[in-house]
Amino acid sequence: MILVEILSVHNLERQDKDVLLFPSFDLIVNAGEVVAIHSNLNIRDSLLKIFLGKIPTGKGEIKVLGKKLEKNKKLTAYKAGISFFEQVVYERLSVLDNLRFFHQIFNSDQSLDDVLSITQLSNLKHKAVHKLTFSEKRRVYFAKILIEDPVLLIFEEPELNVDLETKRVFLNVLEQLKGKSKSVLILTGNMESAITMSDIVYRLKDDGIHRVETRDDVVASEIGEVEQINEEEDTPLAFKFNKIPTKVNEKIVLFDPPEIDYIESNDGQSNVFIKGEAFPSTFTMNELEERLMPFGFFRCHRSYIVNLQKVREVITWTRNSYSLVLDDKPKSTIPLSKTKMAQLKEMLGLK
Amino acid sequence: MTLSWKRINAIFQKDTKDLWKNYFVSSIIVLPILMALLYSYTTEEPSIDLHYMIINLALASVTAFIQCAVIAEEKEKHTLRGLMLSPASIPEILIGKSLVTLFLTVITLLVCAFITGYQPANIALVAVALFISMVFYMGIGMILGLLSRTIIEASFIVMPVIFIFGFGSMLMGLIDRYPVLSFVEYLPNIQLLEFAYQVELGAGFGELWSYLAVILAWAIVAVILSGVVYKKRELDE
Repeated sequence: MILVEILSVHNLERQDKDVLLFPSFDLIVNAGEVVAIHSNLNIRDSLLKIFLGKIPTGKGEIKVLGKKLEKNKKLTAYKAGISFFEQVVYERLSVLDNLRFFHQIFNSDQSLDDVLSITQLSNLKHKAVHKLTFSEKRRVYFAKILIEDPVLLIFEEPELNVDLETKRVFLNVLEQLKGKSKSVLILTGNMESAITMSDIVYRLKDDGIHRVETRDDVVASEIGEVEQINEEEDTPLAFKFNKIPTKVNEKIVLFDPPEIDYIESNDGQSNVFIKGEAFPSTFTMNELEERLMPFGFFRCHRSYIVNLQKVREVITWTRNSYSLVLDDKPKSTIPLSKTKMAQLKEMLGLK
Repeated sequence: MTLSWKRINAIFQKDTKDLWKNYFVSSIIVLPILMALLYSYTTEEPSIDLHYMIINLALASVTAFIQCAVIAEEKEKHTLRGLMLSPASIPEILIGKSLVTLFLTVITLLVCAFITGYQPANIALVAVALFISMVFYMGIGMILGLLSRTIIEASFIVMPVIFIFGFGSMLMGLIDRYPVLSFVEYLPNIQLLEFAYQVELGAGFGELWSYLAVILAWAIVAVILSGVVYKKRELDE
């Protein structure tokens, strides 16, 4: 397959007064790719402002379809579009009137019916937007950018706080966009959704950009396990201690394994999630996996260990993307990788 | 830069629909119509003074306020940001919005004239004067809309305009007592009234052009000022 470069970011950095937001980084998004950048709010905000030309790119440059972004030109001139988190549509008008308006303004050749059906808004099209729920509104925003039909679509927090139906709609939208060889860049602060939604995930921080491994690196984890076993042989434990220590402001808090909902690895730091709260653990993921295995925990993804007793639902988004929905307080969803799906099915006695 | 009629039309349609559903703004149309009804019932044969009090009130409240409100609202709700990112240019957005105001003003004026039974001697001349006046009030509305951040603020700062220009003919009584106020005569609403008197007397264009020139001057100043305010205040804050 020939890779067509849609977005290329080169040497882009951003310093806000005394604070370095992110050092210079390069990024390329090809046609038919969905790329997510996981970052904090400040970084996301300045990235969007750079795209909008409100903050100068400095010595870095951004090219869309080979054309360099310039301050006084509209983003639509480069065939790029942004779907903001706080997108605004006309609340008093119906969904259809809004979409019709954008259709005319953007001189779109997309069929309104197609867009309405993929975003599952067909039944709601005569409803005024202010009567829709948060998730339904989000689907209107998706519809808007689909009508706009740019080659590069940038989504800001597309599925923060949305319901499962909308999440599924969004994943369908992404599949369709991939099929049309569009490029998608997702800016989010939620690692779970970044992993579920995209093929390539980067983490952008003040120490640079890092690729997050989303494919299961079997070899790496095997090596880890081998090391683990060696260590254990060196220091045999006198008694089995089962509590999981976490550190909270210099205090050490101990948790019983059944209390734990899941564990997420964030930049080499594993965080134990209990009732929606994160506690940094002193152990690595591999250590935790091993300690927790006997308690019915399962490494469902490179960066996640889940307490299987808390899993309520296994969702299949597409053939290659799955999520686990937990029965905890915030109804967390966590990613389940394709290879682990097979393993899980085996454990559950399914074929 | 070429203006796209398709986009202007899209903005016009969107804003017209939106306005009908926005009772806070569209209910202002009721004000001059109510006044018209009130006067048509209380007075046997309305004078030109009375007709123009209603017309000036309609211009100041409907034209200035609606123009002001539609701009202020897009700013308040940040929908302007979305529009600015679209291919629509600012002139297109503003023209589209001005057309909505124009459309509603014409309807209001027709309804009011019908109620009070105003039949000018020369419709064409009066229409020209009214059109120039509308441009002036739209300019004022635009300036205030750009200055205010919310729709509530807009409805507040438009009050002096409604008062001075809408009820301005009442100020005329004060001139006799306080000669300092004689500049009031040159306000566009008073000029419009004088103009209408002359039209009724059967004056031709030769006698009327001075009134039109004064109103036109006001309109030009208002449009230029709104341009200046616009430059100062970037629309996408």
